[in-house]
Amino acid sequence: MRSILRVAWRQLSYHKMKLAVAAAGVVVAVMLMLVQLGIRQGAIDNSVAVARRITADLVVVSPRTKTIFQSSAFPRRLLFRIPGHPAIDRVQAAYMSQAKFRSPWDHQEFPISVYGVDPRDPMMDLPGLLAHANELELADRTLFDRRSRKTYGPVAKHVEEVGPLMAEINYRKVKIVATVNVGISISTDGNLYMSPANFHRLFPARDPGNADLGLIRLKPGLDPELVRKELEPYVGNEARIVTRQRLVADEEAYLRDTAPLDFIFGMGAAVGFFIGFVVVYQILYTEVTNHLPQFATLKAMGFSDRYLLGVVLSQSFMLAFLGFFPGFVFALGIYKISTKAIQMEFDMTLERAVAVFLLTVFMCGLSGIIAIRKAWTADPADVF
Amino acid sequence: MQTSIQSGDSNSVVRAKDIQFAFGEGELRKQILFDVSFQIEAGEIVLLTGPSGSGKTTLLTLIGALRQIREGELSVLSRSLHQATATELMLVRRQIGFIFQQHNLLPFLTARANVELMFDLHPEIPKAEVRRRASDLLESVGLGDRLDYHPDRLSGGQKQRVAVARALAAEPKLLLADEPTAALDSQSGRDVVELLRNLARTRGCPILMVTHDSRVLDVADRILHMEDGRIQSGV
Repeated sequence: MRSILRVAWRQLSYHKMKLAVAAAGVVVAVMLMLVQLGIRQGAIDNSVAVARRITADLVVVSPRTKTIFQSSAFPRRLLFRIPGHPAIDRVQAAYMSQAKFRSPWDHQEFPISVYGVDPRDPMMDLPGLLAHANELELADRTLFDRRSRKTYGPVAKHVEEVGPLMAEINYRKVKIVATVNVGISISTDGNLYMSPANFHRLFPARDPGNADLGLIRLKPGLDPELVRKELEPYVGNEARIVTRQRLVADEEAYLRDTAPLDFIFGMGAAVGFFIGFVVVYQILYTEVTNHLPQFATLKAMGFSDRYLLGVVLSQSFMLAFLGFFPGFVFALGIYKISTKAIQMEFDMTLERAVAVFLLTVFMCGLSGIIAIRKAWTADPADVF
Repeated sequence: MQTSIQSGDSNSVVRAKDIQFAFGEGELRKQILFDVSFQIEAGEIVLLTGPSGSGKTTLLTLIGALRQIREGELSVLSRSLHQATATELMLVRRQIGFIFQQHNLLPFLTARANVELMFDLHPEIPKAEVRRRASDLLESVGLGDRLDYHPDRLSGGQKQRVAVARALAAEPKLLLADEPTAALDSQSGRDVVELLRNLARTRGCPILMVTHDSRVLDVADRILHMEDGRIQSGV
């Protein structure tokens, strides 16, 4: 059995062109699988990014709210009951809505997400916000998410290089004082962060007595789930209290429910798998068929079916290796390009790389097993 | 009909008694071999001749443990092939050297690698020994200067000589050849057969060779002539 690998490699590499085609098939398959699964994960991750940035231990939402991007409001007065519980450190309301952002460059209007949070203690992880807390307290001041789409114009560039920019938001002149680095998703193109007071200035029709989110911070060392249960009677059925982790899970579940991400990108990955399978199978099958007399001769001379299987499976795994690494590098490149092109983050994770590698090995192995069946049925007596 | 092998030298390499063989079942049944009995002794070179369709190749595949024998007694290298399992047949085949009409060398391996491949069936032989023996064998078939040539760079006669070296690689106890000269011109055919004879003689390895080629009949110790599935004569 010692020569299996050598024989396998000699056969595979004898026709360089065939080897290149087979490896290219695997490269395409690996690339497609990695990119499709990566974009799927990227879309999910980016969409729950806002929920993930919340640092409050518990969150109050309206019972009608399915996703915080389209939240229903609940009466803000409910939040005033909560500090009565001894476990509570701080409670505050947060607001979010969609506004119209008029580009200072081409004067066209684009929807943008607006968040009203306490600039001194936002209970959200908004890097760079605190540095501008004082300024944000002034009327009609806002921060702009530098990862917003390009549709708004070179806002971030202007703010960072030239200085504050006046823009028209919901028919109001607002001063963009600085940028934050947060991120957008498939449901929002851009973000503005401002104080609740400025938020209400942009939405005069909104009832200031209604809040979209209630953010609760507990005193250190308490179990949020226990406190959550004790707080439930405080708000009754007018609002729902969830833990931070639960909010993220709910957002993800909602997204996968409403946007057919798993199906679309799963399908794309499946197509990649299928392409790789067909190419590898085709190459291995013609190799087996072209060498059927020689394989039958080996069988006649006392080589076992297991030996032949060993040769073809070794070739499968060699193709898997040869195809995976270039495919992996290409996928990394595509992640980079996509990140630039649609301003969403796509990261390679170890789990995805390992999963796709295993899929590739499985894909090639399956092709090999199906291709070898022909040689198994070859009757060594037919060689004569 | 089952009869035990009672007669004959116990050193016989091949003992066949009353072999019947048929392809197909029922109405399509076509009997190929009728009451074939013969023996091959150690060191003998036996030619098997006869018109096509007379059953020579079928007989060769039975002796070569490539087909299951159902009727009659056949013992090869002291093992009865009657009702042997596929694995048992495979183990018998490992002690037999085969030479085919086509050389059937693996095109992607060099002459040396094709010969060395056979030692995979004998993992007990150390690697250095394998290399030495493979080059010795190729040397002895006159291809010492073609060790690292791929088959597509060798002539028909040279390829068949590599096949001879390959067949002899694992020191077989029996050599079966099916028209080894059929694809060769007369001179290379003659060379291959003489080579076979000399190598078999020095190793004491018996040969059973199917051939149509009247030019090589003189190498034989004995000629069996088959006609219509029966052995007509043993000279």
